[in-house]
Amino acid sequence: MSGDSARRRRGAASVVVAPAPPPEARAAEAPPANPAPKPVPRRPFLLDFFPLETPDQTRLHRFYDRLREGRVSTTRCLRDGSLHWPPRTACPSCRSEELEWVDLPEHGHIYAFSAVLAGAPLGMETEVPFAVGLVDIDGTPLRLFGRIEGRPWTELRVGAPVRTEAYDIGDGRMFYRFRTTE
Amino acid sequence: MSGRAVAIVGGATTKFGVRPATWSELVQEVGVALGRAVPELRSETVDSLFVGAAEPERFAFQSHVAPLAAEQLGLKPHRILQRNELACASGQSAIRSAYAAIASGLSEVAVVVGVEKMNLPSMAEANSAMGCVMDRPWDGPAGATAPPFFAMVAQRHMLEFGTTEEQLAAVSEKNHRFANTNPNAQFHEKTFSRDKLLRLPLIAPPLRLGDCSSMTDGAAAVVLTSEEHVREYTDTPAWVRGSGQYSDFHNLAHAGSLTEWNGLRRASREALGRAGIEVGDLDLAELHDCFTISEIVEYEALGLCRSGEGGKFAEDGRGNLGGDLVVNPRGGLLGCGHPLGATGVAQAVEVFQQFASIVPPARQVPEPEWALVHNLSGSANVHSVMVYQRGGAA
Repeated sequence: MSGDSARRRRGAASVVVAPAPPPEARAAEAPPANPAPKPVPRRPFLLDFFPLETPDQTRLHRFYDRLREGRVSTTRCLRDGSLHWPPRTACPSCRSEELEWVDLPEHGHIYAFSAVLAGAPLGMETEVPFAVGLVDIDGTPLRLFGRIEGRPWTELRVGAPVRTEAYDIGDGRMFYRFRTTE
Repeated sequence: MSGRAVAIVGGATTKFGVRPATWSELVQEVGVALGRAVPELRSETVDSLFVGAAEPERFAFQSHVAPLAAEQLGLKPHRILQRNELACASGQSAIRSAYAAIASGLSEVAVVVGVEKMNLPSMAEANSAMGCVMDRPWDGPAGATAPPFFAMVAQRHMLEFGTTEEQLAAVSEKNHRFANTNPNAQFHEKTFSRDKLLRLPLIAPPLRLGDCSSMTDGAAAVVLTSEEHVREYTDTPAWVRGSGQYSDFHNLAHAGSLTEWNGLRRASREALGRAGIEVGDLDLAELHDCFTISEIVEYEALGLCRSGEGGKFAEDGRGNLGGDLVVNPRGGLLGCGHPLGATGVAQAVEVFQQFASIVPPARQVPEPEWALVHNLSGSANVHSVMVYQRGGAA
């Protein structure tokens, strides 16, 4: 999933975020009729840093569905046009719930980074050392935080180019990270 | 300030460290210490209890901690009983609530207890608990806890202003030296020279072990009351003269420049303004040195020096006894350890004891009148500030 081949061309095709049902209909809110098979988390949820991604748990499940297609995306408000990160179910500036999904530009540059050499959370101890950083996404006002793969932390530098990447965390769930491109 | 004048009239802490004691046992222990420190305190006159506790659900598998703490302390609050959670600033949050309750007339005598039990058999589990403080579904999967975030602050500060590892070490050396005067500090009787600090292992580069406050078990407690009752307890009250708080983001991605802590500028301006003083009037400050770089950025955001000059401020020892003002005389979070809920309360205990001139001479600020206490929480996305004045008329 991490290879370029897995990444689909980033199109303009936008899907409106599942809007909240009106208050009188919320009692009838139900998971979709044909949900995707549920990934099985490796550890109890309260000891697991990865989110529950399925439609029965989150209205933002399309974020994870789109990661499965190799697309790192976020929401944009249809009313005031503001671009969010992380994705939202309601616009923080105008409170509209009419949002659309948009793909993020693939490339960005490191604003700051560090590495976890000790003190990793449960389940990540064997991944030490790993690099994390803040990345400015080209052509947007957005800065994202995440893992940086591709080079050891000792070879990273502020300003270095990276690209976003979707990956399977190992149990069927998806997340995003960055990979160096130099 | 509006409402009745409110003061801290006494306080105490337990020994901070890796303690063979449960959450409840730490609360009982600080209750005993508070009873010794404030012998005038009667259980039946305490109408309210505020409990600063950041993550008892994670570290002690315990919710509904306010009545639990009341029972450990032998208190039966009949006005306000509540737990305050604001991560690393939970203790100060509890003090602010007690202050508001007394100022408004809802409470006459309130006890504030701050407590955290953080050392577990599995450090990975404890580290996971620390990660919950971030925007967990977004920041968590990367493995974000506090050290890598503050490491990025340090990286940017070094890049933009030329701040050095030696300047970071100067903060750690100062606070560990002060901790040597504090028997309740986690790192009491341990020496950390700058050379030794610079040889400690990297935790999250550029931060080394000595740049990071530790996982600590401990509790602290203070008593607050109104101007009508202060003299029943002490001649050297610590009057609450100002408070301020500011928060403008939570997700790590929204941290802005990293080196410009606008929230602290706003919160301290509010607190100092309410007290009617300037930063130059302060005699001491308890600043939230969760990491060495934090104290450096805080010097700048408080206006003790210009942006970018915090490293030099540390290097020149301007926060030492005899400097511009004394910063973290009890040893700070670096020297005392950082039991999340207890820290803000322990800082207030230090202010009270400094005003009462009952701390060891090696850290006694000469005749202090004004003190500021600062806590940040999470990824420095919330800043909480209190300003206290010694004694005098209400």
